[in-house]
Amino acid sequence: MTWLSLRFARRELRSGLKGFWIFLACLALGVAAIAAAGSTAEAFRRGLASQAGEILGGDIALTVEQMRFSASERRSFAGLGQTSWAVSTRAMAQSLEGRRRLVELRGVSERYPLAGTVELRGASSLESALSQGPDGTFGAVIEQDLLNRLSLKLGDRFQVGSLPLIARAVLIQEPDRLSRGFALGPRVLVRDAAVEQGGFLTSGLPFSETTRILLPPGASLEAAKARLQKLLPLGQARVRDRNDAAPGIHRLIDQLEYFLGFIGLAALVAGGLGVYGAVSAYLDSKTASIAVLKALGADSDLIRNTYLLQIGALAGLGIVLGLALGAIAPLILGAAIGNSLPIPALFAIYPGPLIKAGAFGVLGAAAFSLGPLGTARATTPAALFRQTTQSGFHLSAETLLSGLAALGLAALAIAMAPTPIAAVVMMVGVIVAFGLLWGIGRLGAFVAGRLRAKTKGPLRLALANLAGPGSAARTAAPAIGLGVALLAAVVLIQSSLLRQVAEIAPQTAPALVFTDIPGDTAADFDQVVAVAFGRTLTPDIYLRAPFATGRILRVRGSQVDTNSIPRQQRWAYDQDISVSALGAEPANSGIVAGQWWPSNYAGPPLIAVEVEAAKGANIKVGDTLTVSLLGREIEAKVAVLRHVDFGGFNASFPLVVSANTLAGASLRQVAIAKASRGQEAAVTEALGRDFAGVNVISVREQLEAATDLFNRLALAIRGAAAVAALAGLLVLVGAIAARAQARTREAAILKALGASRGQILAAYVMEYGAVGIIAGAAGVGLGYAAAWPVVVLVFKAHWAVDWGGVFTLVLGAAVIAGFGGLAASMQALSKRPAAALRAD
Amino acid sequence: MFEFPLRLSKVCLTLPSTAGPVNILREVDLEIRPGERVAVTGPSGSGKSSLISVAAGLERPTSGQVELFGADLGSMDEDGRARLRRGRVSLVFQAFHLLPNMTAEENVAAPLEIARTPNAQVIAQSWLGKVGLGGRRTHYPHQLSGGEQQRVALARALAGRPSLLFADEPTGNLDSANASLVADLMFDMVADVGAALVLVTHDLNLAERADRIVLMRDGAIVS
Repeated sequence: MTWLSLRFARRELRSGLKGFWIFLACLALGVAAIAAAGSTAEAFRRGLASQAGEILGGDIALTVEQMRFSASERRSFAGLGQTSWAVSTRAMAQSLEGRRRLVELRGVSERYPLAGTVELRGASSLESALSQGPDGTFGAVIEQDLLNRLSLKLGDRFQVGSLPLIARAVLIQEPDRLSRGFALGPRVLVRDAAVEQGGFLTSGLPFSETTRILLPPGASLEAAKARLQKLLPLGQARVRDRNDAAPGIHRLIDQLEYFLGFIGLAALVAGGLGVYGAVSAYLDSKTASIAVLKALGADSDLIRNTYLLQIGALAGLGIVLGLALGAIAPLILGAAIGNSLPIPALFAIYPGPLIKAGAFGVLGAAAFSLGPLGTARATTPAALFRQTTQSGFHLSAETLLSGLAALGLAALAIAMAPTPIAAVVMMVGVIVAFGLLWGIGRLGAFVAGRLRAKTKGPLRLALANLAGPGSAARTAAPAIGLGVALLAAVVLIQSSLLRQVAEIAPQTAPALVFTDIPGDTAADFDQVVAVAFGRTLTPDIYLRAPFATGRILRVRGSQVDTNSIPRQQRWAYDQDISVSALGAEPANSGIVAGQWWPSNYAGPPLIAVEVEAAKGANIKVGDTLTVSLLGREIEAKVAVLRHVDFGGFNASFPLVVSANTLAGASLRQVAIAKASRGQEAAVTEALGRDFAGVNVISVREQLEAATDLFNRLALAIRGAAAVAALAGLLVLVGAIAARAQARTREAAILKALGASRGQILAAYVMEYGAVGIIAGAAGVGLGYAAAWPVVVLVFKAHWAVDWGGVFTLVLGAAVIAGFGGLAASMQALSKRPAAALRAD
Repeated sequence: MFEFPLRLSKVCLTLPSTAGPVNILREVDLEIRPGERVAVTGPSGSGKSSLISVAAGLERPTSGQVELFGADLGSMDEDGRARLRRGRVSLVFQAFHLLPNMTAEENVAAPLEIARTPNAQVIAQSWLGKVGLGGRRTHYPHQLSGGEQQRVALARALAGRPSLLFADEPTGNLDSANASLVADLMFDMVADVGAALVLVTHDLNLAERADRIVLMRDGAIVS
């Protein structure tokens, strides 16, 4: 770069940004979307990190299932720092009028919470709300949903299981809620003594106990964890620390960031056509200047540097604009809805995501603007004497650099992704889609050229323009199509999944799940259900099986190293999972390897393992597994690998041991049933009389809640995907602007030849409407191709096309593009023909 | 023995077109002596402007040899030809071709800056004064009349004191008063700097002011 290039570039830029608004807008939009996605995710990460102690409820949390910590363990924990205790279980809450609802019951010690505060309404403090009344009845803090469901008001009495409670306050928020995961029902907070008094902590019942330890200032977290590892038997307790307070949420944030960032990248790629078009148009307009400079003795390096500096400066401006927007948007979001977000967020300006977005912007600008620069550099000074426009592909240093920048863009996107393979698939998808759209645009132009001879009037003019050198079918259609494809993919995936949740799952999944059925009265339980249902229970509507939870400790005699197990299968090894004990092979057993044991099998323990879980540790038929079950370690030989449809109506246990393995143990049982709303209400009420301890989980309610959540998310995701479509629109505007002068001249000539305003207007609307239809239809087709494998292969859901959404997208693209044509024609027609032709 | 600023030997230029190749120049031979003023005339389409384009090294001939100051342009790439022109060869065009985003002074200074001539701005100001536009140096091309633009172009072409000036219909876009003024300035200033001049024109009165007149027809020199 020489000072002369700088001087010439500065002189050129003095004429302002005319023709570069689209360039700036396209670049800024893509960069802003990526920066906003990254900044928002970072705000959530920092928020989670800043409140990690509150979220976990301390520095370390230890949880045991179906048992309590021993007195010596309690003393050891207390030696590490301050401790609080909590016991959790699920149970049925019941009003005095007999209304029943499954709740998440949690009993906490007096020192709870060690970090953060519990937000309440209706009581001055947690201590007063949970205190015992004069008659010894414990107070409870409950969620508003439970008040509504049981028609309670504060001060009313109700019971959970057989435990009487008084509703003293409404629970707004607990500081450690995020670390405790998904809830099947409203939360009820009481003292731990109350849970114990209610009989929920009996051995074998599905409860858990968690202790939270707040280390003294300066104490080593790692040292404390090491002491705990020595203290606790292998696999007995789940240990988490403040650095891993909410791992699921972190994964969710990573995925969300990548999804939104990907949309930003797609917007950058779609907008890249706008960048390319704007740079090409700008450099085309400079052909004479470049030729003059060359005639005056300027060499091609001086020309390249002069225009590279200009484009670089403008790209810098676009990127800075985008970064500013991307940095500010989350701040505005935080100010507007920060208080109602379910995840703590620290909205601020973070350099990391902005640097990343800036890198995407630089690579995007280079990928789409260096090509035209190479073409401009090759302009010969003879252009001053005759039209020698450089067109077509020219292999030059600039085109090579442009290709390298495009590769860099893809590599950066893949490197930043939480799952690189998925990122590669997405990038390849975008590149293939873009290539196809580009081809379809050219095909559209070609077909228009062939058809125009068979038409006349405004349609002929529209087709001629579509086929001509500045055809928007070639420039804007691929960009609009990419935006439409993204929107279409989102719409189709959402509609299929929504249908799966709202329509298909209720038909295939059980409507009700019953847990904690006492093993010794299971037959009586069946009878109560049959009476409430008003029919005989058959295997197609009712299944019951023994239930326990256990953990895989060793495979083939070796301790399980969860870090070496792929993340998709780790769930089966890093926590307690459900186990049943069956004799005869269940219906729809899904065996993929091995043979089920005879119903009267009496040999050494055998086990059936879910096939996906088995893949995690490469478990084969004949291997031995050591499973921690009911407080003892059981070594079982793998007899069966089977596929389990976890959402379906079958024995959905990842582990099933032969019935003799647990002979003598009175296992509690679970049951699933298909039921109408009426049957559901009847059985819930009936069980309150004879089986108050049995929990009734309404799958229907969960599905309805999921549908509601899905619908709310759908709007937000579609809004995000619309950013890419907006980039497409910007490219359309750019294409219209680039041809504005030619349009004005064309309209003037047509008017001089006798064409009416209506005819010219109709021609332009038809031309751009056709661009919209080409882009919309191609985009929907590609969106269909992208959505189908996601729905069918990834989510394994039924494919359902939202034809209304698809039609709206195509029509929307056509109408918006048609409006673009209208705007182009209005602008062209606004000038008097004489003035336009004289200027020419 | 002097060096010919320009020698063309059997120069042909054929360009492709949709209707097939078009022969623009046919075996053109031409020599220009130092300080010589040669007018090239002929009907439209006879190849006059193409002759300038090829002779100044703006485009390559299809065949034949072009020598500028003894250097064979055929052995040079476009950048080499551009470097050869610096400070030695200038052009004036019918359509002025001023750089639209540069002021009059910057336009005049541009070739001096490209040739890394010291004090380019001072020299540019001086030359604007010579063409009577000392008061318009900060004006942009669109703020100048056609005659003024051509005078700026003339100053730009001669400020580097070239040895050879190509002028392609320099008065073609001007009214008669401005045409006369520009023509007078051009001949006076060419004489002042001692440059040779190749002037393409339709105007026989203007052509007659040259030392020699070359007549072209159908791409060939006929007299």
